[in-house]
Amino acid sequence: MNTEISLGRYVEGNSLLHRLDPRIKIIMFILYMVVVFSVSKSIVLALLALCIMGQVIIARLPLKVIWTSITPILPVAVFIFLMNIFTIKQGDELFKYGVIVITTGGLAKAFIMSIRLVLMIVSTSLLLTLTTTPLKISDAMESLLAPLKLIKFPVHELSMMMSIALRFIPTLIEETDKIMKAQVSRGADYDTGSFINRIKGYTTILIPLLISSFKRADELAIAMDARCYNGGKGRTKLNPLRINETDIITGSIMTICAVALLLLEFYL
Amino acid sequence: MSINSNIKDLENKNEASIKVDDVSFYYGLDSIEDENEKKNLEPAVKNVSLEIKKGEYIAILGHNGSGKSTLAKLISALELPNEGKIFVDGFETSDEASFEEIRKKTAIVFQNPDNQIVGATVEEDVAFGPENLGVPNPELRNRVDDCLKKVGLYEYRERESSKLSGGQKQKLAIAGALAMKPEILILDEATSMLDPISRDEFLSLVEKLTKENNMTLITVTHDMNEAMRVDRAIVMEHGKIVMSGLPQEIFSSEEEINRIGLELPQHIKLANEIARRTNINPVTEDYRSVEATVDYIRKAVSENPAKSSEAEENSESSEKKEEPKVIMSVKDLTHTYDNRKKPVLDGISFNVREGRLIALIGKSGCGKTTLISHMNAVMKATSGYVEVITKDGKVLNSSNKKDIREIRNNVGLVFQYPEYQLFEETVYKDVEYGLKKQGVPEEDRKKIIEDTIELVGLDKKLLERSPFDLSGGQKRRVAIAGVLVMKPRILVLDEPAAGLDPKSKKEMFKIITNLKKSGVTIILVSHNMDDVMRYTDRVLILSDGKTLKSQETKSSFKDRKALESLGIKRPVLHELVETILNNSDDEELSGKIAAIKDYSDAVELIIEEGVKA
Repeated sequence: MNTEISLGRYVEGNSLLHRLDPRIKIIMFILYMVVVFSVSKSIVLALLALCIMGQVIIARLPLKVIWTSITPILPVAVFIFLMNIFTIKQGDELFKYGVIVITTGGLAKAFIMSIRLVLMIVSTSLLLTLTTTPLKISDAMESLLAPLKLIKFPVHELSMMMSIALRFIPTLIEETDKIMKAQVSRGADYDTGSFINRIKGYTTILIPLLISSFKRADELAIAMDARCYNGGKGRTKLNPLRINETDIITGSIMTICAVALLLLEFYL
Repeated sequence: MSINSNIKDLENKNEASIKVDDVSFYYGLDSIEDENEKKNLEPAVKNVSLEIKKGEYIAILGHNGSGKSTLAKLISALELPNEGKIFVDGFETSDEASFEEIRKKTAIVFQNPDNQIVGATVEEDVAFGPENLGVPNPELRNRVDDCLKKVGLYEYRERESSKLSGGQKQKLAIAGALAMKPEILILDEATSMLDPISRDEFLSLVEKLTKENNMTLITVTHDMNEAMRVDRAIVMEHGKIVMSGLPQEIFSSEEEINRIGLELPQHIKLANEIARRTNINPVTEDYRSVEATVDYIRKAVSENPAKSSEAEENSESSEKKEEPKVIMSVKDLTHTYDNRKKPVLDGISFNVREGRLIALIGKSGCGKTTLISHMNAVMKATSGYVEVITKDGKVLNSSNKKDIREIRNNVGLVFQYPEYQLFEETVYKDVEYGLKKQGVPEEDRKKIIEDTIELVGLDKKLLERSPFDLSGGQKRRVAIAGVLVMKPRILVLDEPAAGLDPKSKKEMFKIITNLKKSGVTIILVSHNMDDVMRYTDRVLILSDGKTLKSQETKSSFKDRKALESLGIKRPVLHELVETILNNSDDEELSGKIAAIKDYSDAVELIIEEGVKA
């Protein structure tokens, strides 16, 4: 059975953003979140939108991909838009029908709020999910959290757990599918019947899945032992994260843009 | 331990790469406190002594549970002996200070490809071992690339490791082992989950790589065909070594091998059958390779007149029987997975007639599992449908939602490794599950369950046990019983013998032939063509989800080239007979060879043709 599962909708590519060091991406992600939430002036918002559009172009992602990552939150954006437009009463009155009053201020605010939400999603997916593999994110987290090792926080273990989880998710999904089919062949029915019955039905999948997962864990532990795994101490890395000049330049430009936007927002 | 043996240890340190000295091992000994219980504990390995020289190629043979895998774990210091000592290259495994040294020297590849891959991508997995050893870049990168090239996975280096095929995953495991530059490589049933073609490819690759690096290779297996390739073989039973020597020495004691529950390679078996029919001695220690055995058989047949045939003639084949009625009909079945363009199944149509045992064959990934998943509607067809005709002649259609339940009552489906679907506390409850779902009243269930558990060759006493305490072979039979209680008229089995040792496999096929006798129509998915030859009536060949050829088994294996182009090997027995009779272009003879079903057919044909020549 070939079940294609892509985690976090990573889109393969070799653009500047794809190659950018994942640690810088995480820092940039945090920085741009701050910017998105600080911006309230429409002119600055327009500039931010331009800036993020620029990143989309650099990432060479098809617009369709961006669109599919926005669609799930569109209803929320519309809801926020409507909430703002009907509740905020500032500036001139534009429209009035009974209790419904729309003002220029409300309209502006509604636009800003919903566009901010969209930009937030685009920025996140652009920097993290669409251009970075989950494995790299896990690597970057290990590296960024490294200082916590000083206070005995198990950074390496956490990152190892995460990467093993990533490795086994497709395997377990495939196995779930197999067990489910086998139980259906024995008369199990997961779509009909009362809620309680359906939950009960799922134990016929969960128990075998759990048992085989423990067996896998056991065998994997032995296999890791056999390959001299001894915790994080003294381990080297095949693909160590390394920041090169391009990373520094890209990171700097993105930072300058972000800082400029913040300055404009507060001093314009 | 005597002083003498200690002195011997010192002497042997430099000669033997591995030295096992009177070792015994008990699972869970340390966790038992009661002295009496300790005494009653059965050892997994008992008083084993063994020496393996550097560069040697050894097979450790035995049925499941004979202690062979435990011995492998003891050698690689993954378990420590309770009694006795093991030295690897002079380092004692029980000495904690030498743990890392021993594990560096010994690499082990396990049975289940999925449960030994750590890295999410192919190259990350190969790097895992050397990363642990602290190998710095660029050496690390070079080692990884080099090992991936050696096993032929370099182009896949950035792929997700979980998306490789079974054969590729085992090659990845080998690359991961080689990257640690070990001196000893242990294969712990590493080929038992592979299809025959991947298995040969895998073994040849490993043999080549270990030879190049003068590594010691130990293969732990129940497959005697693997034993043919080694320098020395060791046979274990109940934790003890019962035989040891050159493979041919071991092959020469057929009775003992059968008693232990193993099976001789087919060429030796055929030679022994021939010897029984002619007046010459059975195979002795001179025979190991296929070539030598073929010569032996030729000589035996030409020099010794055969005893008159005692086998009764099979008369049923000549009679023209009326074709049984159609019980299942697949019509223009097409299936396309959501995210693919190319369909896995593309317009498949065929009929299944009642009472037959049909093999469904085709190379890995050709859509066999997808096809059988449609037979009881656990998968929904993109277009086309499956019809099932009930006892009273009612036609059920898989595209008709109302019929699905009844289709599932008629068609039982047992997937590969069905033991992984067990979930209840007791065997009884697990087998009962399907009956409950069918709505069979409680008072009737007991008898059905007991009958079924006997049908699959298990003791009624097991009914109250937890299914998870049983052996692998028993678990599988419980899982099959869980489908059989529903009294399917058609039973679909996906590789029911996969991973079983020869004895359990024989029992499995006995169950299947008994089911056939009781009137159940059986569809068997298999990669083992000798099983197909031996047990089935008809063969369906699926290639690339498109064409489907349906033939009688006895004419299915005639055209070697056509089969090879579909990724199917002919039965080993057919190949052997063809070599012995030196047949190249005799059409009639090819037909006769293709009709061979078992050893006695083969012997008959060889003697008949041999006498003619």
